Amino acid sequence: MKDISIIIGGPQGAGLETSMAILGRALVRKGYGIIADREYFSNITGRHSYIHMLVSSVRLPRSIKYPVELVASMDPETIFTHFTDISDKGILIYDKGHSNKKIDDISSMEDITKKRIKEVIIRHGIEPSVSSLLNYLEREKDITLVGIDFNSLLRKVIERYRVDPRQVSRYVSGILISAISTLIGLEEDFIRYSFEQQFRGKEHLIEQNMTIFGMVRDSLADFRNIARLDEPSIKLHKAFIATGNDIVAIAKIVAGVRYQSYYPITPAADESFLIEKYEYTEVGGKSLGPIVVVQTEDEIAAVNSAIGASLTGVRSSTATSGPGFDLMVEGLSWAGANEVPIVITYYQRGGPSTGQPTRGSQSDLLNAVFAAHGEFARIVLSSGDHVEAFYDTVEAFNMAEKFQVPVIHLLDKFLANTIATIPVPEVGRVSVDRGITSLGGRDYKRFDLSRVISHRAYLGTDDTVMWYAGDEHDEYGHIVEDPENRVKMYSKRIEKMKIILEQVPSDLKVTIYGDEDPDYVVVGWGSVKGVVLDAIDVLSEKLKLMYVNVKLLWPFPANEFLGIVKGMPRDRLIAVEHSYGVNITSLISMTTGIIIDRRVMKYTGRPITLNELVSALERVALMNEERVVLTYGA
Amino acid sequence: MERKFEYKTNLWIDWCPGCGNFGILTAVVRAFEELGLDPSKTVIVSGIGCSGKISHFVNVNGVHILHGRAIPTAMGIKLARPDLTVVVHGGDGDLLGIGAGHFVALGRRNIDMVVIMHNNGVYGLTKGQASPTLPLGVKTKALAKINLQQAVNPIMLALASGYTFVARGYAFEGAHLKDLIKMAIQHKGAAFVDVLQPCVTFNDVYTSEFYRKSIYKLDEDGGWDPVVKHVDEFRDKLLKAIEKSLEWGDKIPIGVFYINEYIPTYEERLSKRLVVYPTSNPSSSTIEVRGRPILTQEEFEEIFKEFIVDISSSVS
Repeated sequence: MKDISIIIGGPQGAGLETSMAILGRALVRKGYGIIADREYFSNITGRHSYIHMLVSSVRLPRSIKYPVELVASMDPETIFTHFTDISDKGILIYDKGHSNKKIDDISSMEDITKKRIKEVIIRHGIEPSVSSLLNYLEREKDITLVGIDFNSLLRKVIERYRVDPRQVSRYVSGILISAISTLIGLEEDFIRYSFEQQFRGKEHLIEQNMTIFGMVRDSLADFRNIARLDEPSIKLHKAFIATGNDIVAIAKIVAGVRYQSYYPITPAADESFLIEKYEYTEVGGKSLGPIVVVQTEDEIAAVNSAIGASLTGVRSSTATSGPGFDLMVEGLSWAGANEVPIVITYYQRGGPSTGQPTRGSQSDLLNAVFAAHGEFARIVLSSGDHVEAFYDTVEAFNMAEKFQVPVIHLLDKFLANTIATIPVPEVGRVSVDRGITSLGGRDYKRFDLSRVISHRAYLGTDDTVMWYAGDEHDEYGHIVEDPENRVKMYSKRIEKMKIILEQVPSDLKVTIYGDEDPDYVVVGWGSVKGVVLDAIDVLSEKLKLMYVNVKLLWPFPANEFLGIVKGMPRDRLIAVEHSYGVNITSLISMTTGIIIDRRVMKYTGRPITLNELVSALERVALMNEERVVLTYGA
Repeated sequence: MERKFEYKTNLWIDWCPGCGNFGILTAVVRAFEELGLDPSKTVIVSGIGCSGKISHFVNVNGVHILHGRAIPTAMGIKLARPDLTVVVHGGDGDLLGIGAGHFVALGRRNIDMVVIMHNNGVYGLTKGQASPTLPLGVKTKALAKINLQQAVNPIMLALASGYTFVARGYAFEGAHLKDLIKMAIQHKGAAFVDVLQPCVTFNDVYTSEFYRKSIYKLDEDGGWDPVVKHVDEFRDKLLKAIEKSLEWGDKIPIGVFYINEYIPTYEERLSKRLVVYPTSNPSSSTIEVRGRPILTQEEFEEIFKEFIVDISSSVS
C-alpha cells in the first residue's frame, strides 16, 4: 500500500496522545509522512477520543479521509463508534476480552449517539453487541478481525515487572502501537527509537514497552504485514513533527517573543506551555531569552499585560480562543488607539459561548476582523498549514512592529492539535523587522503626525518621557478633544490600512494553487487548505480547479483577489469553510462586490475530510448544487 | 552633580476645585522629587476616572489605560523591564470594582510596584454613583436612593491578597501621604496605599470635615509596629493589621498597617527559574542580528531536537 488511514480510539486519559506521538515519530523515522487529527471531548477521563491519521509512503500528507483501512480500538465504544468508518477488506484491532459487551453497557457514550448508532446497527439486522458486530464486519465487509487478549498481556507485564495493577492501563496504548506496527510492517528498530525518544531517561518504561512489542508481535504472527506499507520514497533527510500549537510556539521563540501571557483555555494553552519550557536556553554560548511567560488571572489581564510589555519594546503576545478573545476586545481597541504592536494568536473552536471547546471551527472570522468599538487598523492573518503557521507567526510580529498595529493570527483547533510532518523550518528564510524606532529625547512625540507610522521609542528610553492614552490624544499622548486633532489622529490610525495593503508582500496576502486556467475556483482560508489541495488532485481528471488561499484576511486584499478571479463567472466560484455562514464570502462581497453563492460548509466541529470534499465539489461543479453541508466523522 | 527633574507637566489640571486629587498629585510629585526618580525610568499607569488623569499631570512616562486594567498593564511593563519604577493610580471603582480581580492577583504575585488608590466612595467622572467603598445604607447627594451594596474593606482585601506593604493616607495630610508613597516605592514587593479623598462635588458624606474629625495617625501610638521583623512574626502582624483595618467611622487610622519583606517578589521567584533574570530581561535581551533571528539553523535544530526526526535511510 502507498498510504494507509488509521483510527486509534479509546477513552480520554488512556494515553492516546502519547500513542500518537510515539507511533508518529516511529513512522517518520522510517521515512513516512504522517498527519494526525486528534478528536476528544471536553473531559479528562473516560469520554471517547480518537486519533485519525494518514500515513503515506510517497508524500507529506495534507488531509485525512474516510473510510480508514485500520481501526485500532482500546474499548467497545471505539468499535461501535467507528465500525462504519472501516473500509471493506479493512482491519479492526480489538480486545478479545470485550466480545460480550453490548452498546447499552457503555455509560461513557452519550445517549443521543448511542440511540443513533443502535438504530444503524439494528437496520443492518444485527444485535448491538460487540460479538455480533464483529461477525457482521467479517462476514459482510470482509474485514480482518485482529483480536488481542489485552488482559493476559497486561497480566504478564504486572508479573514480570511488578507493576502496580492500578497503573497497568497505561500500557494499553503500547499494545495498540505494537499491533499496528506489526500489521503495517514497521520494524522494531523504529518503535524502539520512538520509545527511547518519548521516555528518555526512563529505561524501565522503554524496556517494558519493548517487551509488550515483542509479545504482541509474537501473538500476531498470522497477521504480520497484512497491511504492509510500501517502503517510503519521500526525499527528506530530516523531518519536523509537531502540532500546530508547537509550531507556533517555536516560531514565536525564533521571532524573539519576550513576553507571552495566557489564561488557560482550549485549544491555546499548550502553546504557552511550550514557550515556558524554552523560557531560557543557552546554545553554543548564545542565550535565547529570557522569555517571561505569565499565567494571568483572566484574558483581560493577558492582553493588557501584553500591551504593557510591548510598550517597553519587547515582542509580546498572547494566545487564546474565542471566549478569551471576546474578553480581550477592549484591550484590542486600546492597542489600536495607541498603535501598540501585539500579536494575539487566536485558535478558533466551536462557538457560540462555551460551544464545543475541544472541537474545531472557522466561525470566528468576522469576530477577529470586526470585534472592538471604534475604527482602527488591525491585521488579521491566517495560515493554511503547519509550514505556513511557522513563517506567518514570525511575520505577525514583523507586521505588528512595522505598522504598529495589533495583529491577530487566526488559527483553529484543527491546526492546534493536528500533528504533521513538515520539512525542518529554515531559520535563514525569516527576517526580524522591528519597524521604525526612535531614540526618543527631549520633546519626543510618540504620535508624531508628520508621518502615518510615527517613530517608536520604548518606555524606559534614556532622557525620554512619553504618554499613552485610550482617550483621543495629541502627538505627545495627552488627552485632547480638539476636532482638528481628532481628524488627524483618527485618520492616521486608519490610513495605515492602505500602507499595509501596499507593503505586505503578495505571498502573505493570497496564494494560489492548482490549475491556472480552471473550470472552477475554490476560495478558502486557514485549515481547509490541505484538504482542498488534495481534493483538487483527486478530481484533476474530471475538473480543472484552482485554490485561492486567503492569508491576509484584514485588511482584505481586494485588488489581488479581483486580479485572480478576473473573467471568472461568479457561479464558477466555490467557497469552503468550517462554519455555517462561510463567512469569507461576506468579507469578499463587502470589499470586492463579488457574491459567492456556491458554498461548501461543515460545522460539526470535525475537520473536513478528503472523501466528503471531493464529493461536495463534484456536486457543486457537476450537479449544480449551490450549498453542500458536510457532516462526516464521529 | 545631582540631576534635577521637573516632575509636573504644564497641562491645566481639570479636577474640580478642592478635589482630593490635588493633594495626592502634590504628594506624588514631592515623593518623586525627594527620591530623585528619573522620569524616563518611571512610569505611572492609571485607570479610568478622575484619578486616571494623573498620569498626564506628572512629568514621568504615563500610560492611561482602560478602566480597571492599570494593574495588569503595569505588570507587563514591570516584568518586561524590571529596572523601571512603576506606580499604578486608580480610583476605588477602578481598582476594587471593575478591576478587583487584578487587584487580588497582584497581591498573590507580589510584583515590585506600587498601587495608589484614590478612594472617594463614588464614581466621580460619571457623576457620583456608589463605588465599592461606599458603605451600605449611605445616600450621597448624587444618589437617588440609599446604597444597597456593602462596602469592601480595601486594607483587609489587600492584606488577604498578599500585598506586602499596606498603608492608608489622607489626601490632605500631604507630608504624611508623601512619606507613605516614598516608603511604598522603596518597598520591595507589591505596595498598596489607600488614599482617603473627599469628592467635593458628589460625596457629601465623606467630606474633608468628616475626615478631619475622624482620622488619626497610627504612629501616634508608640506601640504600633507594623513591620514583620522576623519570619515568625508574619501571622501576628497580619492579624493585628486586619484588626486595625476594621476601625472606621469615628476613628479612622492612617499610616502603615503592614510591611513584610520576607515574601519573595514575583521577580525573585522568576529569577529562581530564569537565572539570568532580572539582570538580563525581556527588554535587554537581543532578538535579532542585522534583521535576522539570533539563531543559526544548527542552533535551532539543536534546541528543538525533540521535534526533529533524522530519517533512518539517510542516517544509515
